[in-house]
Amino acid sequence: MRLDLRGALILGAGALAAIYLISAPLAMLLAAAFRGPDDTLPFEQGAVWTWDNLVAVYGDPALYTNVIPNTLVFTAGAVALGFATAFILAWLTERCDLPFRNTIFALILFPLLVPGVVLAIAWIFLLGPNAGWVNLALRDTFGLAGEGPINIFSLPGMILAQGALLVPFIYLLLTAVFRTMNPALEEAASMAGAPPRAVFWRITLPVLRPGILAPLILATLIALEQFEMPLIIGLPARINVFSTRIYYELNPDTNLPAYGHAAAVALPFLVAGLLLLLVYNRLIRSAERFVTVTGKAYRPSRFALGSWKVPALGFVALYLAFAMALPIAVLLWTSIFGYRPFSGGLLSAASFDGYRHLFASGDFWLALRNTFLVAGASAAIVTLIGALLAWIVLRTKLPGRAVLDVLSFMSIGIPSVIAGLAALLLYLSLPLGVYGTVWVLVLAYSYRLAVATRSSRAGLSQLHHELEEAAAVAGASWVETARRVVLPLLAPSLLASFVLLFIVGFREFTMPILLQSQDNLVLSVVLWNLMVANKSADAAALGSLIVICVAPVIIFARHLLTGRTA
Amino acid sequence: MRKLWLVAMAASFVLPRWAVAADWQPNAAMKALYEKAKAEKEVSLWTPAAIEGSWVNAQFAKRFPGITVNLTADLQGATKIIAEARAGRHTVDNWTFAIGGMLEVQKRGLLAKEDWAAYGIDPKDTFFDSQAAATHNFIYTSIYSKAAVKPADLPKTWDDFTDPKWTGKLVAQSFLLPRMMGFFALEWGPERAEKWGRTLINDRKMLIINSPAEPYLKSGERVIAVGESISLTHQYQADGLDVAYRTLDLVPAGQFAVTVLKDAPHPNAALLLAAWLSSDEGRGLYEKEIHEADIRPGSKSALAAEIKQSGAKVILEDLNTMAQRAKYYEGFSKMVRGQN
Repeated sequence: MRLDLRGALILGAGALAAIYLISAPLAMLLAAAFRGPDDTLPFEQGAVWTWDNLVAVYGDPALYTNVIPNTLVFTAGAVALGFATAFILAWLTERCDLPFRNTIFALILFPLLVPGVVLAIAWIFLLGPNAGWVNLALRDTFGLAGEGPINIFSLPGMILAQGALLVPFIYLLLTAVFRTMNPALEEAASMAGAPPRAVFWRITLPVLRPGILAPLILATLIALEQFEMPLIIGLPARINVFSTRIYYELNPDTNLPAYGHAAAVALPFLVAGLLLLLVYNRLIRSAERFVTVTGKAYRPSRFALGSWKVPALGFVALYLAFAMALPIAVLLWTSIFGYRPFSGGLLSAASFDGYRHLFASGDFWLALRNTFLVAGASAAIVTLIGALLAWIVLRTKLPGRAVLDVLSFMSIGIPSVIAGLAALLLYLSLPLGVYGTVWVLVLAYSYRLAVATRSSRAGLSQLHHELEEAAAVAGASWVETARRVVLPLLAPSLLASFVLLFIVGFREFTMPILLQSQDNLVLSVVLWNLMVANKSADAAALGSLIVICVAPVIIFARHLLTGRTA
Repeated sequence: MRKLWLVAMAASFVLPRWAVAADWQPNAAMKALYEKAKAEKEVSLWTPAAIEGSWVNAQFAKRFPGITVNLTADLQGATKIIAEARAGRHTVDNWTFAIGGMLEVQKRGLLAKEDWAAYGIDPKDTFFDSQAAATHNFIYTSIYSKAAVKPADLPKTWDDFTDPKWTGKLVAQSFLLPRMMGFFALEWGPERAEKWGRTLINDRKMLIINSPAEPYLKSGERVIAVGESISLTHQYQADGLDVAYRTLDLVPAGQFAVTVLKDAPHPNAALLLAAWLSSDEGRGLYEKEIHEADIRPGSKSALAAEIKQSGAKVILEDLNTMAQRAKYYEGFSKMVRGQN
């Protein structure tokens, strides 16, 4: 499709914005890894270029005997479990005639809204070796003595908890892929006599490959980076992984946070990201093979589950009971009863003081407004830029487009704390007047282009360029074609990306802590302050309100999605 | 020892938790400082956690109306203070922290040296050559579930936790336990302190956690939290937990202080706030509002009296032994986290 001046300017602006938003945290990560000594910050006078951080991190034998093996098993296990579960759930809700699909869609995403600490505590309530509800029931039923038999504080326990945590992330991205898939190829294979299993393995999976690979890669990198489950469930078992190692470097026993060590530990994330990108690009080299949306009209059809409907609903219910209902019940319970156990006279202990305290707090209302603004604006910016980058990479022959692709993908390998530190230094120095305002958070959050670019690219690779060519032949400009042809067809991917980034922004905690001021308080910081102060009822009340606040966004997004493809 | 402990417990109920400084009044120098500070209208206070300063604005306004205290909580405030100083932009007036955590900022010459004595503060209650003044102590203790542990079974010394009867019943925070062991290492020697820690973790199967012990005590997953603080006991009780603290043979205590930043944007209000927080009234309010008492020698705190009556030995964080203790607890941290 011919690119006119207006289109070129828009794409150029998108590319420049992407470079600006990613280069500062990326440069900080690379520089910090090679700046020392330990008792200076990377930008201070007295800091010098050094290999000491790499030597300290990679010269530690425990890394090879303990951290790396644990990380590999933990990540592989959690991603496999999370992906398999999410794939089945996405297939059931997007490609099958499962009842209550819209409700199930929203419910599956709810755990994304629950703070990771609450999810971890819910797992401990359930599978704690001494007093976990499941263990108590098993001991009671089978007359077992001692602790257990199930111990959440173990590597399998970590895998279970992290796998469950990954499901909504992967599910959200997979549903967009399933939604934009034209089932004509499957129908043709079926009509040619191929059994359902053959259709699935030889048609469905290969066609979905780009869309599947993107969430798989993202889930792998998220499992590598997230530290809540490894810290809360892994630490009691004294199991260390890469993410906990970064956490310990940033919360050292003495001196300042060891940003240099943390950056050195994070470097493999970048390398892993690059390798995964190479694999991704290699596997989807012939992009045209994955095109399923062409100029020909299609109407998505659904598999009839028939007698499998009940088992399918059972699977969904089992997942939701463990991953959604229990954590949210713990959250609501704690917000009203604190940590009191269930007992006869419990109702007299019910209190809504946690909610009252929040509603009476000026900080809460300021943080609520700021959080919606920051999460919404950053998600919109990143989704838009991600879509432009995806278009540049897939639809143009511009020199340097591969660099843009790599750059955007590398953003997922940058830990939040490094991005926050980069923003702190950059906006303290630049006379833009954003330091200490909510806009510094919007700019800082907006480096996460990997999700948006991957998601848009997966969606765009399913659209045949003949659609855009047809619009151009009909006299449409680039902007008109993008607005009236490409964007509507990409809507599921863009919405999935926006919702995911909005939720990630809503939960983001590290950057707003580092960049906080009186004016840019956000809900995650308020939540953290309440948790540190052991105000568990107030913290749980805020967690419950976060679920209530974001749930309409998910339901609205679903409504938009179903409206688009109806 | 048990008798002493009972006397201490009885005293803690009889004595009001806050019985001092009701007659405290600002001296002339402080009144003059207040007149100058009023023009600045506000002051920003940074604390490691919100609870440390959540009460300050309301109480300060009662004593010194017309000056708003803007609170920011950040455990890594040192990074931001150093970064702002480097960029020549200053938003922080006052900073409260453990003296060990202040060290890196103090080394960079970013703290103001003040004449604390002019505002009635004893020079022995200051640190870093008058760059910070004492406010309260972080007092280590053990917290037990009253429903799950009989009074007769309670330990009397920290060594009692090595008894096999505590197997599978203890919990400790990975941040606090090594720091407390650092104090023990100063008292017992590092080998004995390490052996004590290893016995608890490996033989007594103590659960190491990275979050408050509250849910673990509540659910019954564990019955005693080792190495918590007395103020946390009160927070857990406020959340509905039926718990109490147990004063044992040693009482390790971290030192918290307040400081004025050298380039504070509101220097008079900052000095006024710091001097007030370190005054008898300020220290009394720390104990009354958040149960963070001052148990330094000469303290008027009820808790200090209670501990003294129990016969326990208080080990205060000290600038002279701070580096040695830090070296000890760095090693203990690795052990606690399973890194060696």
